Amino acid sequence: MGAGEQRAFDEFFRDSAPRLVAFAIRRSGLDAASVEDIVQNTLIKAVRNLASYRGEASLFTWLTQICRHELADTARKAARRPGHDSLDEPEVVLRVSQQLRAPSHLEPAAEVDAEQHRGAVIRALNALPERYALALEAKYGDGLSVDEIAGLLGLTPIAAQSLLARAREAFRERWVESRGETRNGVAPT
Amino acid sequence: MTEEIGSAEKKSDADLDHALSSALRTAPLHPETLARVRAAVENEWRAAAAVERPSSRSRRWLWTSLAATIAVGALALGWFARPGGTAASFGSISRLNSGDIDVRFAMVRHHSLQAGSPVRVGDILTAEGPALISLVGGGTLRITAATVVDVMGANEIRLERGMIYVDKPLAASGNLRVLTRAGTVEHVGTAFEILSNDQQVRVRVREGRIRLRSTSGDVMADAGTELLATPDGKVAQHSINTYGGDWIWVAALAPEYEIEGHPLLDFLQWVSRELGRPVKFADEHARDVAEHTILHGTVRGRAPLDALANVLTTTTLVYEMRGETIWVQSSP
Repeated sequence: MGAGEQRAFDEFFRDSAPRLVAFAIRRSGLDAASVEDIVQNTLIKAVRNLASYRGEASLFTWLTQICRHELADTARKAARRPGHDSLDEPEVVLRVSQQLRAPSHLEPAAEVDAEQHRGAVIRALNALPERYALALEAKYGDGLSVDEIAGLLGLTPIAAQSLLARAREAFRERWVESRGETRNGVAPT
Repeated sequence: MTEEIGSAEKKSDADLDHALSSALRTAPLHPETLARVRAAVENEWRAAAAVERPSSRSRRWLWTSLAATIAVGALALGWFARPGGTAASFGSISRLNSGDIDVRFAMVRHHSLQAGSPVRVGDILTAEGPALISLVGGGTLRITAATVVDVMGANEIRLERGMIYVDKPLAASGNLRVLTRAGTVEHVGTAFEILSNDQQVRVRVREGRIRLRSTSGDVMADAGTELLATPDGKVAQHSINTYGGDWIWVAALAPEYEIEGHPLLDFLQWVSRELGRPVKFADEHARDVAEHTILHGTVRGRAPLDALANVLTTTTLVYEMRGETIWVQSSP
């Protein structure tokens, strides 16, 4: 791809972009516009620095490392912005009122439950070692087979199977803890 | 009793699968959005690829170099040519990541080397792609694409241009001397990188200590030091990291490590050395596991970091990069 082969770029984008989008959404919960910026910046940085990728880790792992930096930058910038909007600005009033309006196809209570459930899973996932989280995302989020996960993470199928089993058990422990705390009225951290 | 427990476990497994699937499924970006991203990335990729292609400027440089070579032909011939009978072994090609190695001998004979081919004293090597050479007496020489190395003796090479990495552990015999435009680099049990171009020679010491003998005298440099030397004898020193992006090419050319029958601790030490990062254990149990676990199987063809991930998934240990350190701990 570094030599400018179109087919290589096509494959790179086709294989990487959708997974990177899913990765960014899961790790951040950001809206589509923000995710678009993050994925675009990640891939641009990747193609600019292709020469520095020498296979020390799998290509996707390398991309997720760049993406995590992008997500961290976005979070830092967001933290520097004012915590609340001024309702003196007409554009802000319009945007905030749109955000406050629930989508018509959703029951608010069900949506809140689903978000809480999703949040608990993501928090449990984020507390795991990175490779565990990547393996679970690939299996349950992207629906990949063990062989495909092995290819994605640069592992043998046996190692990928073993990694998945460990990741699942580690996740179970975190998730059970998280649910226990939720039932007792304590929000998981 | 057993059945009840089994049934409860199945239900728990199903709950877990459902929780993960429902939370991790994500809606894809709108195709128009993805097309926008693609257009932006593709533009950037084309720009980056154009920079990498040889420019007319570099072609002009090649012609200038050729002219200069012809102008000093008599001098160069005397320098390059050696007796045809010299054939002492220098090492062998362990790996070629792409392309062959073109070999000149005595300015006349050309042939190609592939993986497994011997390298002999008198050969002038031009690598088409990154290559790993195992040295007679132990240690390795890694060279990047387009590097030209003149094998002057069993323990002496001249770096004409390009970049090399010398890894001669203390246990290896013989000290490799590297002749460059800016002087001779000598070492005792060390790992270092040398880059040479028209303007200067850069030496980066990753382990041990080297001595640069230049026209203006000797300069010693320890691990974590970079020397920038010019042919007129000027030398500048800087501190550098012994790990990270600058060394990725070295890890990509790491010699194969056979894990079968070796303790996990030995494997971790190999990974540590190849990545230039110390390994630390978060707890005594992790150290104990590393010392007493005997590995089986193979990690052939895997770069050190991938090999590490692969091996640790079959143990009760996990790793994490914290700054320069590979932090190994018991899995949660």
